[in-house]
Amino acid sequence: MRLVLERRSETPLALRLGSPLLAVTLTLASAFVIFAAMGQDPLNALHVYFIAPLSDSWGLQEVAVKATPLVLISVGLALCYRSNNWNIGAEGQFLVGAMAGGWLALATHGAPDGPWLLPAMLACGALGGALFALIPALLKTRFGANEILTSLMLVYVAELLLDWLVRGPWRDPQGFNMPVTVTFEPEAVVPLLLEGGRLNIGTPIALLVVALLAVLVGRTLKGFEIRLVGEAPRAARFAGFDEKKLTWTVFAISGALAGLAGILEAAGTVRMLQPGISPGYGFTAIIVAFLGRLNPVGCLVAGVFLAVTFIGAENAQIMLRLPLDVTRVFQGLLLFYVLACDTLLLYRPRLVRGAHA
Amino acid sequence: MTLLEAILLTVITASTPLLIAAIGELVVEKSGVLNLGVEGMMIMGAACGIVAAIATGSGALGVIAAILAGMAMAALFAALTLGLAANQVAAGLALTIFGIGLSGVVGAAHVGAQRAGIGKLEIPVLADIPFLGPLLFNQDPFVYASFALTAGVAWFLTRSKAGLVLRACGESAASAHALGYPVLRIRFLAILFGGACAGLAGAYLSLVLTPFWTSGMTAGRGWIALAIVVFASWLPWRAALGAYLFGGITILQLHAQGAGFRVPPQLMSALPYLITIVVLVLIMRLRRGGTAGPAGLGLPFVPDR
Amino acid sequence: MTLTRRHLLGTAGALAGATTLGRTAEAQQRLNVGVVLIGPVGDFGWSHMHDQGRRRMAEVLGDRVNATTVESVAPPDFDRVVTQLVRTGHRLIFTTSFSYFAPTQRLAPQHPQVFFENATGPTTLPNMAIYNARFYEGRYIQGVIAARKSRSKTIGYVATFPVPEVIHAINTVMRGAWSVDPSMKVRVVWVNAWSNPAREADAARALIDQGCDVLCSHTDGPAPLQLAEQRGIFGFGQASDMTRFAPRAHLTSSVNNWGDYYAERAQAVIAGNWRPTDTWGGLGSGMFRMAPFTNMTPEEVSEAERVRDAIASGRLHPFDGPIVRQDGTQVIAAGQRLTDDQIRAQNYFYQGIEAAIPG
Repeated sequence: MRLVLERRSETPLALRLGSPLLAVTLTLASAFVIFAAMGQDPLNALHVYFIAPLSDSWGLQEVAVKATPLVLISVGLALCYRSNNWNIGAEGQFLVGAMAGGWLALATHGAPDGPWLLPAMLACGALGGALFALIPALLKTRFGANEILTSLMLVYVAELLLDWLVRGPWRDPQGFNMPVTVTFEPEAVVPLLLEGGRLNIGTPIALLVVALLAVLVGRTLKGFEIRLVGEAPRAARFAGFDEKKLTWTVFAISGALAGLAGILEAAGTVRMLQPGISPGYGFTAIIVAFLGRLNPVGCLVAGVFLAVTFIGAENAQIMLRLPLDVTRVFQGLLLFYVLACDTLLLYRPRLVRGAHA
Repeated sequence: MTLLEAILLTVITASTPLLIAAIGELVVEKSGVLNLGVEGMMIMGAACGIVAAIATGSGALGVIAAILAGMAMAALFAALTLGLAANQVAAGLALTIFGIGLSGVVGAAHVGAQRAGIGKLEIPVLADIPFLGPLLFNQDPFVYASFALTAGVAWFLTRSKAGLVLRACGESAASAHALGYPVLRIRFLAILFGGACAGLAGAYLSLVLTPFWTSGMTAGRGWIALAIVVFASWLPWRAALGAYLFGGITILQLHAQGAGFRVPPQLMSALPYLITIVVLVLIMRLRRGGTAGPAGLGLPFVPDR
Repeated sequence: MTLTRRHLLGTAGALAGATTLGRTAEAQQRLNVGVVLIGPVGDFGWSHMHDQGRRRMAEVLGDRVNATTVESVAPPDFDRVVTQLVRTGHRLIFTTSFSYFAPTQRLAPQHPQVFFENATGPTTLPNMAIYNARFYEGRYIQGVIAARKSRSKTIGYVATFPVPEVIHAINTVMRGAWSVDPSMKVRVVWVNAWSNPAREADAARALIDQGCDVLCSHTDGPAPLQLAEQRGIFGFGQASDMTRFAPRAHLTSSVNNWGDYYAERAQAVIAGNWRPTDTWGGLGSGMFRMAPFTNMTPEEVSEAERVRDAIASGRLHPFDGPIVRQDGTQVIAAGQRLTDDQIRAQNYFYQGIEAAIPG
């Protein structure tokens, strides 16, 4: 007996809804086993993990805050991956965006000048991220250097650059020589939207970006070009699309979005520059992009989903006193289930008897 | 021992885990599968290796446990990506999250536990050759293993029929399938080999280099191994070059700091990354294009019966 | 297992914070204490020792406290973790990194009913205390011992990041070493990590190959000490007693002990007499201690003990003048002493240290 997969000609609606439900059911079943083995009440544990983060306004705002950078970065990455450009350096582009926008906040510190400052910071952040992302694009199109390597290596370079800046030239002179910049002036901080929470204008910006990119990918010639280059590069060449120019475009867009996420984070949740400003958003966003099937709206859903699991992991530490590592194992399992159930949408699994294929 | 010999010895120890993991991943990618979970498999190898070695009192059993742990993780990845044709990039990243968590759970009771490291293995006669002897023939078994793996994989991929078939699976799974080769089974074995290598590389960290356990002790080396495969353009000997280049610059910058070079340490620490990029660009210029990756890399394959 | 209404309400209540639990009931209940860690509990260094402190506090106070640890909290997540701790009824929260100082200072006024304690930092608030240990006192002793043990007259220092805590530690090691032998030198390697065992070992190898024969380290793990053992030189442990990692190389370790402080502070909250103190505990305070001196002659041990006792009793101060910077400018003259704030902000090497100050 063995398992074979048969490609489906079309995916029934019931299955589109059923696949996530199956993933949830499997997760619940494993959670029962894991949490019971840890001496926890499984229902309570699941409540803490999945329901508690969504149970009031503060919690929902936090989910939005956590999901915003993931969504912003992943929609950009999705464009790259769709067109076969393997940008895995979004973490570095995020940090450079934070530095570029942060530079403006620091340069105007003490004399912040009017309402132009924050938009200018966001623009700087996006520009910085885009320029940094163009390095691997340039190395790829000009020299044929593989972008997986160059974009990944540049992540570490960006981390070290940030480290150097906040310990050297940008250090807060009153900060007892700790590796932090000054706290940004109120004019340079991303404004909050609601009382009693941290929801800021980053979230509507991310939603707007998702909408714009959904239109771009689905309804414009550029979107068609991106999809065609990814799925049928030969045909794209015949159609006269310039692959190199496209590489530049998608790297610039994804770098700009990662950079924007970076400055929104620096000027929003952290309000200063310091090492450790990103808990790996740039890498997590890669999973988000693929869970979202490289589709802008899918990235939005996947980003919110991952944000809930991250906050659930914190809640599990606080309310159940489970160690972080157990929550990570659980998160990993959850992702496995979601990926596995995704298969059902494309294939029909069947158990067959007999010889190997 | 001269300073040069001392530096080279340290370079070898710093490069060996990168090389072992990279060689494993190279075979996986040659078969057409992209497993981004090297870091997760490596840290599971490190954790299971030291825990098993402490429990059994045997370094060799620790190494075996590490290899098995890496393979078990790889099998999980294979079940998803081959059995269920799940997305390889996402599955690999999920495997890393899972591995980092599980290694912490496995190692939790052993934080701060230690044991004696696995010692050197001197090869008689050869070890007496001046300069090269102490460098190459009085090493720990892992270093020999890394040489053997590189040579073996280079031979396997270019000279053996099985290697040819494996490469065919990576270039075009559909064609290999049409020729009657069991694509999924070959890819499965390649993934297991990659897991075994990653586990072995992890064991090198927790059993030889720094024989104890702390969480996250692989500290991103799995990612560097992935980058080295790309650097190598999927050629085993060039993977060795890449691992030694990266390890070499890392050690040289530490030495330069110790010698009092007045350069910011952040710039020093960035050198291995920057120089790897520069060297890759130079190589690509010289080769005018160079080899691309396996054509079918990252694409799931589902045989039509 | 049935999902009861009360069960759900209970969780929801916990989420909604102390208000729904009822203040009177809360008063008779255990004190909930939160500990926020910058690294993983398993780092076997800074965060590990804070978690050990949490365990020790729970041992001392028994069922009067409930302690919660949250690991690896990055700055963007810090506000949420602390707010969630507050909402789930934690009334004393230890935030154990200098990275948390600014956000704690911002959050404390929003939760006046909660007591905050930040490990390291320059200032306090009505409901925010700061605490740290004077680890540099141990560094001075290490310097004295190193000067006695070294034949090459060169100490190797595996450093993490150029923050004042590390810079003044290097200065103090050399102060101690020079008190024995003014010709002592130091080589410094920055590994740009708090925990990366294999890199630490590489740095230790580089230092040993360059002639250092006593290693000090500021990183979390025992890797440099293990290297010292392998290569037949000497080294010091960090954060916990690391004798067992290097039975022939280990000289002494600075052993962090946060537990008694945590217990005392939790007790103060329970008793209602918590004050926003600025505690910087030295050898005399018990916040850290020196592990037994090993691999030393009886004379060397008695000298080390003499220095230790002199520091603990305040007769010897590692930051007495004159203090001259690397570039020759004088910081303070003989007869003066650095203030605590000057020590906290120290960002220069002393004259005589030939390593570069980064940044």
